[in-house]
Amino acid sequence: MPLEIKIQKDADPKKSGVVTIILIGSLDTATAPELDRQMMQCLAGRVSDLVFDLAGLKFVSSAGLRLFTVARKQMVARGGKASLINMQPQVEEALAIIQSLPGFNLFRDLAALDRYLAERQGSHFKPPESGENN
Amino acid sequence: MTLELKATPEEVMRAVETLEQFARVNGVPEKIVFGLMLALEECGSNIVNHGLQRDARQKFQVTIERTHDGFVIELHDRGPAFDPTTAPERKPPTEDDAPGGWGIQLVRGHIDEMHYRRVDGENILRLVKHVNGPGKRQSLS
Repeated sequence: MPLEIKIQKDADPKKSGVVTIILIGSLDTATAPELDRQMMQCLAGRVSDLVFDLAGLKFVSSAGLRLFTVARKQMVARGGKASLINMQPQVEEALAIIQSLPGFNLFRDLAALDRYLAERQGSHFKPPESGENN
Repeated sequence: MTLELKATPEEVMRAVETLEQFARVNGVPEKIVFGLMLALEECGSNIVNHGLQRDARQKFQVTIERTHDGFVIELHDRGPAFDPTTAPERKPPTEDDAPGGWGIQLVRGHIDEMHYRRVDGENILRLVKHVNGPGKRQSLS
């Protein structure tokens, strides 16, 4: 059960500091160490908003949930934010069982995240026209 | 069906994948398949990470059985005695909590019964999930 990890740093200067980690596959006891490694490399740079896009994540265990929490703590320490978007129902249920992860922003889709980022970054960032990010 | 596994994370996931295939062949609903996979991953990981210290020379066993009303998964290992059924319910995580420790909670959230016994130096953990609908006793050949 492999895990594909894609890290996207937004080229738009108005959204600088926003890093999206796209996870595809399975985040489990075997694949979590690689995400940990790449995530730490990412966090060594300038990140103000860390977003985990979970649209392609079919399986997650406590090993993965732990990494989300580690990432969030690191973001809080630097005055940033961490968000989860596009969760599959099973992943959402796993979060519900542990009564969620404190302090995470959970977004159903990219449009909701964009609106949130726009609020955080004020006039420096405007979300795309509605309907573009469903 | 019984799997003999080395005490590594990769072997845990081999068992999880086997369980997934078996469950899907038996027409188990997706949500329950996920729960079974998660329970096995969490319990197997506990054995590998804590009981057997990720020593690939050590082995543990997983049996998977379809019963008339559900699934039974048993994990056998010869690590130190550990009864996960007595692990306390974890309080909702707070800002100050160290990350982690949710494995047993996730298992309880997806499994109907969890039984532990220690026999002749072996931990035996039995997980039972009741699945609605017909089913007959069979095992993967």
